[in-house]
Amino acid sequence: MFGKFKIFWEKAPLKSSYDAVIIGGGLHGLATAYYLARNHGMKNVVVIEKHYIGYGGAGRNTAIVRANQRTKENLPFYNEGLKLWPKLTAELDFNLMFNNCGNLNLAHSTAGISALRMQIASAQFHGIKSELLDPKQCKELIPELDISDGIRYPIFGAMYHPPGGTLRHDAVVWGLARGAAKFGVHIHQGTEVLEIGVKKGKIVSVETGKGVIHTPHVLNAAGGYSARISFEMVGLRLPIYVLPIQAMVTEPLKPFLNHVISSGVYHAYASQSLKGEIVTGSHMDPWPSYTTQVTERYIKHQAEALTELLPCLKGVKFMRTWAGLADMTPDMAPIIDGNDHIQGYYMDCGWGYFGFKSAPVTGKYLAQFMATGRCPEMLKPFTLHRYEEHRLMGETASPVDYGPEFGWVT
Amino acid sequence: MSFTITCPICGKRNGYEFRFGGEDGGPRPDEEGLTSRDWCEYVHMHNNIGGPQKEWWYHRHGCGLWFTIWRDKRTNLEVDEPEAK
Repeated sequence: MFGKFKIFWEKAPLKSSYDAVIIGGGLHGLATAYYLARNHGMKNVVVIEKHYIGYGGAGRNTAIVRANQRTKENLPFYNEGLKLWPKLTAELDFNLMFNNCGNLNLAHSTAGISALRMQIASAQFHGIKSELLDPKQCKELIPELDISDGIRYPIFGAMYHPPGGTLRHDAVVWGLARGAAKFGVHIHQGTEVLEIGVKKGKIVSVETGKGVIHTPHVLNAAGGYSARISFEMVGLRLPIYVLPIQAMVTEPLKPFLNHVISSGVYHAYASQSLKGEIVTGSHMDPWPSYTTQVTERYIKHQAEALTELLPCLKGVKFMRTWAGLADMTPDMAPIIDGNDHIQGYYMDCGWGYFGFKSAPVTGKYLAQFMATGRCPEMLKPFTLHRYEEHRLMGETASPVDYGPEFGWVT
Repeated sequence: MSFTITCPICGKRNGYEFRFGGEDGGPRPDEEGLTSRDWCEYVHMHNNIGGPQKEWWYHRHGCGLWFTIWRDKRTNLEVDEPEAK
């Protein structure tokens, strides 16, 4: 009934040398490979992935995209990322299911509203659509929202960010993989990196479970595992803690929630997928680990938060719950650096829970970085050196982090 | 299995009673002659080992003690201190 499945890309044997080796078949690795081949003619590239493409954060996130960050370094970056989705859909000839439904960040106090005002002003300064709504306007957008003062934290208003939305994350993984392969990139799943060879401060090789690859360029795009690889294989310590973050979906419901809704105080966010499930999450284990276990504690918390904000969800069942690894930096901004500590070694780490929305735009600039060896202006603020210069970014003060549960940070 | 931590005073308790206090980074560096880079190493940088690690915990909802344990980050289970190599 479905006909024959088409092959997404032709399998090629692993060669003994490539111009660049990308560690991690997630969105950042695949996007970088795609742009290296497409924009810079670097086609002799291999993406190696320990499990299968999209196994890590790429397939575990809740696929929300937005450009409502706080700082002048981050806003234009995420804004460009947001504009790339429709372009990519056409370019890759693959339906990424971009649902431009807009995001609503709720505030539950006058302090919360003040913080939103600043964030909205910052967004508007950069030409990004964002506006303040009062509770009645929120209710007009989401009629099921409880705006009464009968809930624990009554709604004072919200930041409405129309350009945001959701996508289908698997489609993005497959689309980018197929797109990269079309330009000649090799993708090797089930191929683990064991060692990174450095000689006289230069990258020379990568040892994998399937043999040694000689290469002058390596990109560490291993997501939750990138900090560990960085320390264990090239001896570079990073300001990262890896925390498992949990998410879950309910049973499918008729469409009623056509926006991404989030609340820092309730520590919850939710959106309705195109299948009708409520996709929700936000809780991180407050200690680092490499497990992807889920806990009853957060299922209960999520149910409490959601049924207060959206009372129509009472009695609805959660169908699935899972966890992924978020590599958190102290300033909630990534580390994109390279060709500095070790010549030919690039890193794209510390994305925390911002990895999905940023993947294509990072890939685009990182490809430029790797092809030329010079860091593009857009990526310069994300250098690793900012920590020793004590120039941390101000993203931690973003209102989505305000909440009683936040405060594990050491 | 639920996550537990053994407090030296209160014994084995639910992990959510505790606050994670960071990887053990050794003693605080001497301020004399301290470079920005060394301070950054001490304050921000972590090993992120995929295995047993020595780390600090604070019994926030309990006796208030700060103490160290060894925990395997692949399993979330407390382990004995590995023998020095």
